[in-house]
Amino acid sequence: MGPLVAIGLVLVSHSARLAEGVREVAEQVTQGTVRVIAVGGAEDGSLGTNALAILAAIESLSDNDDGVLVLVDLGSAVLSAETALDQLDVELRERVRLADAPFVEGAVAAAVEASLDSGLDAVLAMAEAARGQVKLA
Amino acid sequence: MSEQEAAAELSVEHDHGLHLRPAANFVRLAARYRADVRVANLSRSGGRQANGRSLLEVTALGVDRGHTVRITARGEDAQEAVDALQGLIRSNFGA
Repeated sequence: MGPLVAIGLVLVSHSARLAEGVREVAEQVTQGTVRVIAVGGAEDGSLGTNALAILAAIESLSDNDDGVLVLVDLGSAVLSAETALDQLDVELRERVRLADAPFVEGAVAAAVEASLDSGLDAVLAMAEAARGQVKLA
Repeated sequence: MSEQEAAAELSVEHDHGLHLRPAANFVRLAARYRADVRVANLSRSGGRQANGRSLLEVTALGVDRGHTVRITARGEDAQEAVDALQGLIRSNFGA
């Protein structure tokens, strides 16, 4: 395991298992150099998203000086993530971005870019570039 | 700063080709160089080129075991980049 880089990722899914699975892949491709937190499911454990849990995940990465990138899976995960971002204190909010990117590809691409010690904007750009990526060779 | 170009063609013998983990190793190594690195899979038609710094582009080349890739680099440390990436593939990604 290499040294930790200065950007952390928060993966928000309706399913705890989905978020955890994507986290597992992201950690494998970066050999554990990037802090990745999976947040999945509603407060009662059913499928859904929980703004307070997202907020806590972002805040737990607040010592990642170069910031935090948040990736979401579907629909209302965006609203929950935006609600969480609105609750952040101003100083931390400036170092947090919400990616408009596919969940799996975006998370993996962002994790690899973050592992290169790139800045937050470069990591965000790599995640969002995943939108246009064709899948079949 | 002199503009250099370097290239190499070689076959990938890793059991899983350039799939997720080997591709991630490739991208992370390519990113250590200033040169612009491109990869093409010569064993598939289409000749699409991937940016050597993009994991998603490299994995989308569909490089399986036995496929031949062409690595090209352009920039001041192009030869060093190609040598290092060739070494990674030849070493079977350190496996």
